[in-house]
Amino acid sequence: MTARDRILSAIRAALPHERPAPDAISAEAKALLADPDTIRPRLVAEGLLDAFILKAEAIGTTIDRVGGMEAVPDAVRRYLSGHGLSLSLAVEPTPALTALDWTGLDTGTTLAPDQPAALGKALWGIAESGSMIVHSGADTPILLSFLPLHHIVVLQESDILSHLEDYAAQLAERPHPRNAILITGPSGTTDIEGSYVRGAHGPGFLHVILVASTD
Amino acid sequence: MSAPEASVQVSFKNRAKTALADRTLKIAIDRTTGTAEAKRAVAVAAFPEFQAARARGRAIKDHVIAHLDHYLEQFERNATASGATVHWASDDAEARAIITRICLDAKAKLVTRSKSMLGEEIGLPHALADAGIERVETDLAEHIIQLAGEAPSHIVWPAMHRTREQVAELFKMAHHLPPSADDPATMVQSARRELRAKFLGADIGISGSNFLVADTGATCTVTNEGNAELTTTPPRIHIVTAGIEKIVPTTAHALSLLRLLVRSATGGELTQYTTFHCGPKRPGDADGPEEMHIVLVDNGRTRMLDNEFREMLRCIRCGACMNHCVVYRQIGGHAYGGTYPGPMGSVLTPVLNGLAGSRDLPNACTMNGRCAEVCPVEIPIPTLLRAWRIRSWREKLEPGSLRAGIGIWAVLARRPGLYGLASRIGVRALRLFGKGGWIARLPLAGGWTAHRDLPRPAGRTFMEQYRAQQAHKGSRP
Repeated sequence: MTARDRILSAIRAALPHERPAPDAISAEAKALLADPDTIRPRLVAEGLLDAFILKAEAIGTTIDRVGGMEAVPDAVRRYLSGHGLSLSLAVEPTPALTALDWTGLDTGTTLAPDQPAALGKALWGIAESGSMIVHSGADTPILLSFLPLHHIVVLQESDILSHLEDYAAQLAERPHPRNAILITGPSGTTDIEGSYVRGAHGPGFLHVILVASTD
Repeated sequence: MSAPEASVQVSFKNRAKTALADRTLKIAIDRTTGTAEAKRAVAVAAFPEFQAARARGRAIKDHVIAHLDHYLEQFERNATASGATVHWASDDAEARAIITRICLDAKAKLVTRSKSMLGEEIGLPHALADAGIERVETDLAEHIIQLAGEAPSHIVWPAMHRTREQVAELFKMAHHLPPSADDPATMVQSARRELRAKFLGADIGISGSNFLVADTGATCTVTNEGNAELTTTPPRIHIVTAGIEKIVPTTAHALSLLRLLVRSATGGELTQYTTFHCGPKRPGDADGPEEMHIVLVDNGRTRMLDNEFREMLRCIRCGACMNHCVVYRQIGGHAYGGTYPGPMGSVLTPVLNGLAGSRDLPNACTMNGRCAEVCPVEIPIPTLLRAWRIRSWREKLEPGSLRAGIGIWAVLARRPGLYGLASRIGVRALRLFGKGGWIARLPLAGGWTAHRDLPRPAGRTFMEQYRAQQAHKGSRP
């Protein structure tokens, strides 16, 4: 008897013999998600955008708002200069970013060990928690979100979802990536005497460039 | 009762005594649990739907446990379809053997690990050491206790028993570029520098899992540091260890439970990083491991399905019960002696290690009920601890003197006349030990009188006084 058989038969021996059909189990599981507004926090502002900004800033994320994608390189330059950093960064090789005019900035797709900043694009934002979502893929190396000290993320205002359930619905509609990541503020730790320190292993700074909807 | 049991019992009491005498430990515990308690209260107050969410969280876990075989098979199918290899382990030894085998087959020299209490439960650190594999703990707290050669003392803050000065000492000895100061920020920087090369040079990354998602086959980890993704992305192989009770039907159920988990654990709303890992890297992916192995571990969990401890399978390992426990906050985690400390540990340790050697744990509880009040999935922890006490009595695990004492009391308690007589003799006898209104020393009650005095009793029992008072009332016109 394999361990698998032992475990499953121990479970079956302990549970009632009459078991519902898989469809009935699914229906029961679905019912456990009913009336989501009664079991989740309300947004902290009326609009998705305002709620997202309030939550993101409350957890230490900084935000810069621009009128369109073409304004992103300038916003990046502004951020790097503002932090006294060299105008050099790794840019995620996603077409929406590589298509931009990076003249005057030293960009590459990999992060050198001494390079302090990387730029990526979030698929969605979540107004409930100020989170952003990144999926792994050919154009989206996961390590670019974790290795730099400064993580800069481009997010379209129109991609802000209301609650965590809305993201779960989006994820369910497409093939699951190797990594689906919710990023909620810069890396931090409270492991030494409970005192909060930023930049534990991941980025100590999380900066969002919020791009206004063009429609 | 056999000798080894006695020695274990003595050692719990001794560990507790040592912990109580350690002032630094008390300061360290207070700093972290105090903050955690305050932050949780704020987070719960800011979420008026918390009680409803909690009831739903409980229902989700109960649903999964009632259909555990169905969901495990569904998870296995979907994880396998995503390219992961699913392994099953009945106990800790099987789990260790599976993981060591994967490491040895891959000729792994360096393994990075992202904090997982299940890994501690199955004895993974020792197993890797025995196999000659270098293990690097990447969670900051786990890094601290690895350097100190200790076990975790809390399930969320494993190094909470150490003060910043003690951490600085460890880092100065162990880090290649020792930290220049002992403030937490400088020390965190030092650990970041020290561990960066390990992350990128590891052959295998091992993580735990907060949730196993049945309908996608993904495993979910949550961290604030970002060490899980740095542990599981660069190496060629990612191994996940997970208890079979971690399963949830869908991503939405996991996210719903996450709202409860994080608020209850740290008082945050979400951890900084929440990752659903699904299979190895896809063809064309920019990074990620080539192999993903998931080890599903039973280790006593199926035994809990049909006994009085079934509700404990709902536990999502937030640590709120220990942060709010008056006993934990006095003695800290190490005194409990098991992998899991505090109230939840006192329920689980007898399951994992047997009741005979751990029967003091369910007794190290005041039954004040705080743990059940703050539990995000409504586990009636005091009831479960009482169930262990009942079992301990039935299995005759208490020392003979205690059993005899309780036996005598039981004889009296079931005979009101005799009980009244004994009380009348007792209160009068007690007066003989009193001096100036207080009793400072009493035979057989040294445990009490060593630390405090008893007031000298009135000399008549309550019933005697009550009858006298009633008679007095009756005689009035």
